[in-house]
Amino acid sequence: MEIQVTEDRAGEVLVLSPVGRLDSANATAFEAVVMNHVRGGERRLVIDFGSLDFISSSGMRVLLIAAKTLRTNKGTLVLCSMKDHIAEVFQISGFSQIIPIKDSRAEALAASA
Amino acid sequence: MSGEFHVSLPAKLSAVRGLAEMVEEFGDANRLSPSKVYMINLALEELITNTVSYGLEGVIDPQIGIGMHVRDGVLAVTVVDNGHPFDATQDTNPDLSSPIDERPIGGLGLHLVKVFADRIAYEYAEGRNCLTLEHDLASGDA
Repeated sequence: MEIQVTEDRAGEVLVLSPVGRLDSANATAFEAVVMNHVRGGERRLVIDFGSLDFISSSGMRVLLIAAKTLRTNKGTLVLCSMKDHIAEVFQISGFSQIIPIKDSRAEALAASA
Repeated sequence: MSGEFHVSLPAKLSAVRGLAEMVEEFGDANRLSPSKVYMINLALEELITNTVSYGLEGVIDPQIGIGMHVRDGVLAVTVVDNGHPFDATQDTNPDLSSPIDERPIGGLGLHLVKVFADRIAYEYAEGRNCLTLEHDLASGDA
């Protein structure tokens, strides 16, 4: 199953915004989008959660893979604009300690510079 | 939709999409908070993903049934399948604190289910896994 991902560029930073639901049905499609950019040489990645309503562990797994690879490549991954339920799940999962999460896209871009 | 809910799902990952809408309707009918509805959907997505990806592999005529009800301030969610025996109540000990380089990929799904469930029970009988989650609804939320 596909996932709609909006892409924006701000200088060296690529901003990806997945839309709707990110679960086991479309995590593979999302992984392909993200990792194609990472393998293509993108090193400053922001994933904007503003249009995301739901994420399961299948989607979070993709973020962890991307964060690990970007770290190896001396790049950064910053997340932003999470809805409350999603932010709560990132807390419970201990992801908030290993992947930076900002309230707004502007803050995420500032943190990526 | 009333206080009770039963549905059979096709054994494919996309099945949770239709279910999510039904859970939302169930949540509205039972005046559950959006946060509870989110956690129910998350728990179901994690359990159904496990069942479809592993439990039902190679099973002829795979079946998944979901039941939900609210009774006496307790929300109960039941997942029944005819897959290989798997006890999801077993301790998974997920790593939630290692630094990023050492953080394992995976092992999080069942943890999210257990965070939501105040009680969790498993039984394998007559060729079926039956997992029941119970969640105590706070007063004013039932």
